[in-house]
Amino acid sequence: MAILNKKSRSALYDPLVKTNPISLSVLGICSALAVTIRVDQALIMTGAVIFVLSASNTIISVIRKYIPSRTRIIIQLAIIAGLVSLIDQVLMAYMYDMSKQLSVFVSLIVTNCIVMGRADAYAMQNPAGNSFLDGLGNGFGYGAILIAVAFFRELFGSGTIYGISMIPDFVYNLGYENLGLMVLSPGAFIVLGLIVWFQKEIWKEKVK
Amino acid sequence: MRSNTYTLIFTSLITLILGFLLSFTYTQLKGMQQENLAVDIRKNILRALDIREQENEKWSNEKVQDLFNKYIKAEVISKNGLIVSDINIENINAEYDSTNFPIYYKLNDGQVDGYAIPVIGRGLWSTLYGYLALEPDASTVKGIQFYSHKETPGLGAEIEKDWFTNNFIGKKIVNSSGELVSIEVLKGKVDELSDEAYHQVDGISGATMTTKGVTQFLLEDLQKYEPFFKKIRNNVKELTWLY
Repeated sequence: MAILNKKSRSALYDPLVKTNPISLSVLGICSALAVTIRVDQALIMTGAVIFVLSASNTIISVIRKYIPSRTRIIIQLAIIAGLVSLIDQVLMAYMYDMSKQLSVFVSLIVTNCIVMGRADAYAMQNPAGNSFLDGLGNGFGYGAILIAVAFFRELFGSGTIYGISMIPDFVYNLGYENLGLMVLSPGAFIVLGLIVWFQKEIWKEKVK
Repeated sequence: MRSNTYTLIFTSLITLILGFLLSFTYTQLKGMQQENLAVDIRKNILRALDIREQENEKWSNEKVQDLFNKYIKAEVISKNGLIVSDINIENINAEYDSTNFPIYYKLNDGQVDGYAIPVIGRGLWSTLYGYLALEPDASTVKGIQFYSHKETPGLGAEIEKDWFTNNFIGKKIVNSSGELVSIEVLKGKVDELSDEAYHQVDGISGATMTTKGVTQFLLEDLQKYEPFFKKIRNNVKELTWLY
């Protein structure tokens, strides 16, 4: 992509793997535990977070020079919460079915540490364009981990992927059973822990 | 470091702008939101009574309204099971009213083809709202739908999914001697060979508290309507499903 300079590129691509918000900074764990039981939910959450993250990053970056440093966290939080409530209202009016599916996910976005983390760490220091890209990149990086965790949890916990049965009946007949642990929160901890370990230890050594 | 005055003014300004923006959006969209909500409730009454969208079909708000007007007749009954004609069903809050209860009939060419009653009660995190529908014999479950709750997605929230609600269809709310037993949501799977299987449904793993709540408020709500349904059962000459 020739239109992006080096800094913009790293803003967009680094969070995908190198500085991934979940697996490296271990942010946003709360929602990574809550919405990774099934892949379809993880996808919806990913879409919503990408939108909020890039929008809040852009807005905060535009007014960053005017935000007083002592109340900056409050202002960031107000903007993020305002944005999320706004989306919630619009969805309820125009896409009621979608808003029903999202329900609690929407409020989970406000409490997502990644959104505030990026606002304070990146958008407060960088121009709007790069902040937008940073928001996009972090959103996708978050989503990648979310979907990976959901993939394993749904496969082993319910035997399905995206609601479609993946494990043939004869395997069940042989005595195979779905792993109930995967549906519960500890299952997410285990899968997430394995992904973090894989990235920090095994994969990193290969890249070197 | 900026002055206190600047900090105060800037923070209040942002709060004001956001507050204005949100309340403006809310007042603009309120009408549509409330209409969506009302239509969704009607849609769930229809679904409980087995009038539902086919796959890949999506009903518009008008379509739901039309179907509702065509098939559903609403009435209010008292706690003695008598029909109350001087109270408008719109004025009844099914959650708190303990003397008058709303009931919805499904009519097919003038014949009653089912009854739907609101079922409301606590789950784990929130109040669940739904409709339970019975066949014209007032003892067999025709369907159940939940339209509002704040249970955990993937766990308690599974109560609104078809795989769970379909288990209720065909179950009995009365035992062989005609006493109300309601529906019991089990922990785990129903043993089909058990004597109790006729009024039990499979539970949801990881959502024991939610389903316990469902078991409890289904019984409580059915008790409210029992005088009314008992009369219907007495009129149905033969209980076809007797052992």
